[in-house]
Amino acid sequence: MEIYLPVAQLSVNWAMILGVGAAVGFLSGMFGVGGGFLMTPLLVFYGIPPGIAVATQASHITASSLSGALAQWRRRGVDAKMGAMLLSGGLAGSAIGVYIFRELQRLGQIELVVTASYVVLLGSIGGLMLNESIRAIRKVRTGGNAAPTKTGMHSWIHGLPFKIRFRRSKLYISVIPPVILGCLVGILTAIMGVGGGFIMVPAMIYLLRMPTNVVIGTSQFQILFVTAATTILHATSDQTVDIVLAFLLVIGGVVGVQFGVRVGSQMRGEQLRALLAVLVVGVALRLFIGLVTTPGDIYSIVAGTP
Amino acid sequence: MRLRTHWIALIAAFLVWTPARADDLVSGLSTDLIQITSNFTGTDIVMFGAIEPSEEAGPAKDQDLVIVIRGPQLDMTVRRKTRMLGIWVNREQVELLGLPGYYFLASTRPLDDIASVATVQRFHLGTANLEATTKGNIGPDEATAFRAAAIRDRKREHLYWESPTGIEFLSRTLFRARIQVPASVPPGEYRAEVYLFQNGTIVSAQSSPLFIDKSGFERQVYNYAYQASFAYGFAAVLMALAFGWAGYLIFRQSQ
Repeated sequence: MEIYLPVAQLSVNWAMILGVGAAVGFLSGMFGVGGGFLMTPLLVFYGIPPGIAVATQASHITASSLSGALAQWRRRGVDAKMGAMLLSGGLAGSAIGVYIFRELQRLGQIELVVTASYVVLLGSIGGLMLNESIRAIRKVRTGGNAAPTKTGMHSWIHGLPFKIRFRRSKLYISVIPPVILGCLVGILTAIMGVGGGFIMVPAMIYLLRMPTNVVIGTSQFQILFVTAATTILHATSDQTVDIVLAFLLVIGGVVGVQFGVRVGSQMRGEQLRALLAVLVVGVALRLFIGLVTTPGDIYSIVAGTP
Repeated sequence: MRLRTHWIALIAAFLVWTPARADDLVSGLSTDLIQITSNFTGTDIVMFGAIEPSEEAGPAKDQDLVIVIRGPQLDMTVRRKTRMLGIWVNREQVELLGLPGYYFLASTRPLDDIASVATVQRFHLGTANLEATTKGNIGPDEATAFRAAAIRDRKREHLYWESPTGIEFLSRTLFRARIQVPASVPPGEYRAEVYLFQNGTIVSAQSSPLFIDKSGFERQVYNYAYQASFAYGFAAVLMALAFGWAGYLIFRQSQ
């Protein structure tokens, strides 16, 4: 049952890692998210060094977003032009992120920054989602329509220069917001090991005002390329990609996604969102507790290569 | 630096050792090469040997054995957390140079009972006497605390191991010790040393090499990751894409 990870230089239970990959794949199929926000903490709890966890599981997201993006492409759910704009920002962001990652690793602050970003991002987004889905569920109970609440018009976005027509999204907007959004998500991908779908999707809906039917596909399309680039950048700059670990996670993930999609399609949207929100808030809480409780040993050791 | 102290130890041992007066020592390891394969979960090796009594039968001797296995030097970074605004943050950072990546010591009795503190220190026996150079903005007292923390951590990981009664005598002259090697052991060149103490001084010593190496596939993967890192990363992406695509095909058929 044990398998030796040549780059991480430790042995793990391969059935356990397959299971983690499958479980996260299941959830990502069910909720339509990449699942990176769950994978990194799970791997770290299991004892994989955070640097290796972050870099390696990007390839898990690459695999699941390719499956997703292909399926969406067939349904004409990908705005390739918008995806390319997001991607141009995303690749720059991922290069910046890998640089920041390496500096933080050198300073010994990578764990803190990764954990703190998780707490802040997951806590706020999970809180918002929970709030929104509880209201939606109540609305359904009282017999209303469960449409997600919409924020006010962002007219300043429409005032920006370099406007382009995005046919699939039926939009005529400036290229600046997509490029900046892509860049921010790219940085997160490199530092936190997440695809960033949970930020990208709401931002596309509420900020860029893209129609919902192209949002998921376009986000998966761009995540596919950004995580692929991140994997290569991490592999070349800090040698933290363990291909054996990646292989196990990908296999588990690809199988898990299939079951997740089936279960997810039988559930109501607002219930699904509420469940996901509970999960996100739970992970944030668990990580927050880890930050504030007194560690068993206040010293930590990194031997040889980090 | 470390090599030199070894030579001093050996030379000193031979200076004291003269065949007419002292007993001779023969020893060996059950293996001199440990291969890290894909199902490697650590291993046990055995060090065995015999004390060959000298020609002339002297009075009953106070004899003790110490076995030391040392791994390749592995530099470490030690960080200490401080509570800031309720959150535990890594604050001070010290680099420790010269500590072994693996250290195992077994003896017939606790070291303090075998020889004087000065002798034990001189031969760097025991994890408490491991030498390390500290690099960092820190005073000598603090440096000791960081060094102790590193050693504590290595012990928790079973990479440092001290077993004061780990040597077992099968007869009056035959001895054996079991050495635990955990899965996280660093590959490299190891040295196994046996010291024979008599009345508190080393009268005989023996040193033999031990190699720990990743086997074919594991070594190749590791080497690719470092030497052909772009191709390696690219391969990881291709692997992910192939499985993602396969997943899509299966998914499409089942729809």
